Amino acid sequence: MSSPAAPTDAPVLTAERLSVRFGRRVALRDISLAIPRGRIVSIIGPSGCGKTTLLRCFNRMNELASGARTSGTVHFAGMDLYGPDIDPVEVRRRIGMVFQQTTPFPKSVFDNIAFGPRASGFTGDLQGLVEEVLTSVGLWSEVADDLDTPALELSAGQKQRLCIARTLALKPDVLLLDEPTSALDPEATARIESIIRALSPRYTIVIATYNRWQAARLSDLTAFLDRGELLEYGLTETLFTNPREARTESYLTGRTQ
Amino acid sequence: MTRHKRRRDPVGAACRVAALAVLSGFLVFTAYLGFAASRGVGIDFLRGASSVAVDGTGMGPALAGTLWLLLLTAVLALPIGIGTAIYLEEYAPRTRVTAVIESVAANLAGVPSVIYGIVGLALFVRALGMGPTILAGGCTLAVLALPGVIVTSRTAIRRVPEGLRLAAYGLGATRWQVVRNQILPAAGSGIVAGCCAAFTRTAGAAAPLLVLGTATYMSFAPQTPAHPLTSLPTQIFTWATRSQEEFAALAAGAAIMLLLLLLIMNLISALVVRRLSGAAR
Repeated sequence: MSSPAAPTDAPVLTAERLSVRFGRRVALRDISLAIPRGRIVSIIGPSGCGKTTLLRCFNRMNELASGARTSGTVHFAGMDLYGPDIDPVEVRRRIGMVFQQTTPFPKSVFDNIAFGPRASGFTGDLQGLVEEVLTSVGLWSEVADDLDTPALELSAGQKQRLCIARTLALKPDVLLLDEPTSALDPEATARIESIIRALSPRYTIVIATYNRWQAARLSDLTAFLDRGELLEYGLTETLFTNPREARTESYLTGRTQ
Repeated sequence: MTRHKRRRDPVGAACRVAALAVLSGFLVFTAYLGFAASRGVGIDFLRGASSVAVDGTGMGPALAGTLWLLLLTAVLALPIGIGTAIYLEEYAPRTRVTAVIESVAANLAGVPSVIYGIVGLALFVRALGMGPTILAGGCTLAVLALPGVIVTSRTAIRRVPEGLRLAAYGLGATRWQVVRNQILPAAGSGIVAGCCAAFTRTAGAAAPLLVLGTATYMSFAPQTPAHPLTSLPTQIFTWATRSQEEFAALAAGAAIMLLLLLLIMNLISALVVRRLSGAAR
């Protein structure tokens, strides 16, 4: 783990008074937090607490769902992500996302990686890029012989690593990982976690996880969400050993209130 | 193990009987048509022009008419229908207007085809001055096919896993790139299968064309869409309603041709579906 950082260190993403509703349901209420550059930040909390919604605020994915309304601001590298001139497509190219469900496209391994770069009009060395990102997720040695292998034939762990590589191919500044290991066995999970560690601090990583121990193992900072509210945010070590809020403590210790 | 297999399964047995009944019914039906046709249909019948006289009449013009109609229907209904489906599923915000369009399309799919004939007569034949031509028939059949194309295409698009969509958007794809590279390939086989079903309905439709006004006898095969309207189903109808027995044989022959045509269409669609779903894997 990299050295601890205070939440105020040079933020790359800053949410202020962020609220999201889906129709009448309030999914997030008045969230303010800053993600420091080059750190791993975990968002934990019980299921339905808004982890995924918060993550999707950072790359404007929520608006793809009907009836979603976002208020408040998210600043990324000085610009307001929800500003009138901002193209959400461009946002998603700079802030990449890996989803909970492993969803490789029903294409070859190569085409999966090439999808993002091609969509954004990449004209450089695609072959080299594919090798580079596959290497960074430890998949190159496993698939180098046949990049035409259909991605759906890979194992579950390989698929998720492919999905991470696919996102890395966009050369994003930030990686948003939504429950990246929830469908994986412990071995594949450990593999993914070591990849996440290796990708830091080159990338700022925000990871939503229901697995509090994963948050403890991986992240520099942890945010605890409950029922759409940010209850506590701070250094992972502090939050886990000395939580400020009673609800945080009962969640972390697994006690029901 | 064998004992287990032999256990009574009344539902399975009933299904087997039903399937056999359908199959034998179909065979008897085809045999009957073939027998009826064999009594008055020669090789000239395939190409020959139709005439009032039984001798030497043929279904060439009617066959050409149906092929023209199919082509026009495809050219008109496919882009509009699939485009509407894509718009409704991928672009349109969920508003009352889209809800209305959706329910209109769904309800139109169940409207009897003869009603489309009346609309076609008023709109294409009269208001737009096309007259009872192949073009008017093609437009009418395209309208007839549209709801089916829209509904089945939408169903196919909706079956595309949400994860694929999200993943593509998450990788910075534009809406069109998502549609073009993920949605259409994944939904392609379903769209083709659905469109084929809609086309089968139109290819066999006689009622709307009869309302438009079809040529009973044509001495030449239509060369352009501006030529008078004729088609296999309407020709079958015309022959079948004549009192002379010889015409019954002609009707049966044309019916076999129509069935063959539909079979070929379905085979082609099955091949395309297979190819597309293979490519999607």
